Amino acid sequence: MKSLQIAATGMAAQQMRVDVISNNIANMSTAAYRPRTAEFTDLAYQQVVSPGTITSQTGNLVPAGIQIGTGVRPSTVSMELTQGALRETGNELDLAIDGRGFLEVTLPSGETAFTRDGKLNRSADGEIVTSEGYALTDGIVIPADAASVSISRDGEVVAYFNNQVQGQPLGTLSLVRFVNEKGLQALGDNMFRETEASGTANRLAPNSEGMGALRQGFLEDSGVDVVAEISDLIEAQRGYELNSKVITASDEMLAATTRLR
Amino acid sequence: MSNAVYISLGRQAGLAQELSMVANNLANSSTTGYKTDRAIFSEYIQASGNEDPSISMGWLSAHTYELSQGAVQATGNTYDLALQGDGFFAVETDRGVRLTRAGHFQQDPAGRLTDAQGNTVLGAGGNQITIPDNASLITIGADGSISADGQLIDRVGVFETEGDLVRDADTLFEPLAGYAPFEAGQMIQGALEQSNVSPVEEIARMIAVQRAYEAGQSMMEREDQRITQLITTLRNNT
Repeated sequence: MKSLQIAATGMAAQQMRVDVISNNIANMSTAAYRPRTAEFTDLAYQQVVSPGTITSQTGNLVPAGIQIGTGVRPSTVSMELTQGALRETGNELDLAIDGRGFLEVTLPSGETAFTRDGKLNRSADGEIVTSEGYALTDGIVIPADAASVSISRDGEVVAYFNNQVQGQPLGTLSLVRFVNEKGLQALGDNMFRETEASGTANRLAPNSEGMGALRQGFLEDSGVDVVAEISDLIEAQRGYELNSKVITASDEMLAATTRLR
Repeated sequence: MSNAVYISLGRQAGLAQELSMVANNLANSSTTGYKTDRAIFSEYIQASGNEDPSISMGWLSAHTYELSQGAVQATGNTYDLALQGDGFFAVETDRGVRLTRAGHFQQDPAGRLTDAQGNTVLGAGGNQITIPDNASLITIGADGSISADGQLIDRVGVFETEGDLVRDADTLFEPLAGYAPFEAGQMIQGALEQSNVSPVEEIARMIAVQRAYEAGQSMMEREDQRITQLITTLRNNT
């Protein structure tokens, strides 16, 4: 009974869909989280009778043949690229990226990673770091006695001091983008790593050539649409039940066969 | 064995395969661009010699798929395309060009439009589609024309085929008689065509298959009893 295995692939697929949905719902308040969607595709077909097989000497052809499918498999779990809502926080080191682009951070291992989570802080040395304490690759250091810092939409960072009218330019933050953002590898902690599929990082100034602009004092909310996730969850659950019904039916047919003797 | 057993055996073998199709349909009830499978049973006449009436058997002779449109679900993704009405997208695989209704596309590192498996999507002229990286807004019109920041750059091809379609994996179809551009093709950006499997219909078919299978089983049991009885009667009479 092939139907047993086929239904099992269907149940596994729906199970995986529930896993993806539950991760989305769990991250409904994660800054700059992008919801994932599981996509499915059918498995190879067993060609019992191929269409186009010649059935007589006069050249009659089988019009449709018999092809039996063998089930379903997940094809991708892809990231939706829609931007989350921008939320005002008022913190001077909260940065939201309005449009495309990622901030580049250096991991303790020396590797670079990319994030859209702009919840930034000052380290003990005055470096701009993420909430995990990883420094931005731009290497901007804020002087300890700076009273405030302003970051322009183009990424220019300027420090202001109590005893000085003129601000002191500290450098420019840059953004990075990829041809295929869906090809990035998620590392957790809101970070991504470059892969063969994503293409190489293209470093540009914010607010230029199609790159997003920086917004100081804002954070990007999670892009999860909870209502859509819940309706997806219902669909996945019912899909799971339907496949389990096929298993029951196959089982009863097998039982009928074994009752014969 | 008696002919009655062979007849119900032939029917049951077909029914077991039909259940596989139902299982495959239900397993793919969430597969983008999937088309429902249907089994076709036909009569097979076996001559039984001289004056005797011929025997009619049912067997699974062919299958077909319903090409009806699946529901269109909005996703909001730039490269998710749903075809409305007839036509197929074409992708270039290592086995040749394949047609598909699943429009879940993305870009590869070189900027080309590909499907989820990395096969390149064909444009209206049978070309590969490359989308510039520096565009901030990509729109795809109903006729497939792609514009980057208002500049027309290419057109997503919609194709049709006259001949038969053979199912390939990954919701692809192999066009046996080639394919030709289909000018009237319409698509929606930011949406995907869902599977056209109707769970209610499939469950109804599954119950019908299961009961028909069990009916065949009980016929075989009765045939078995009949032969046993015949042997017993004959033995008692000698």
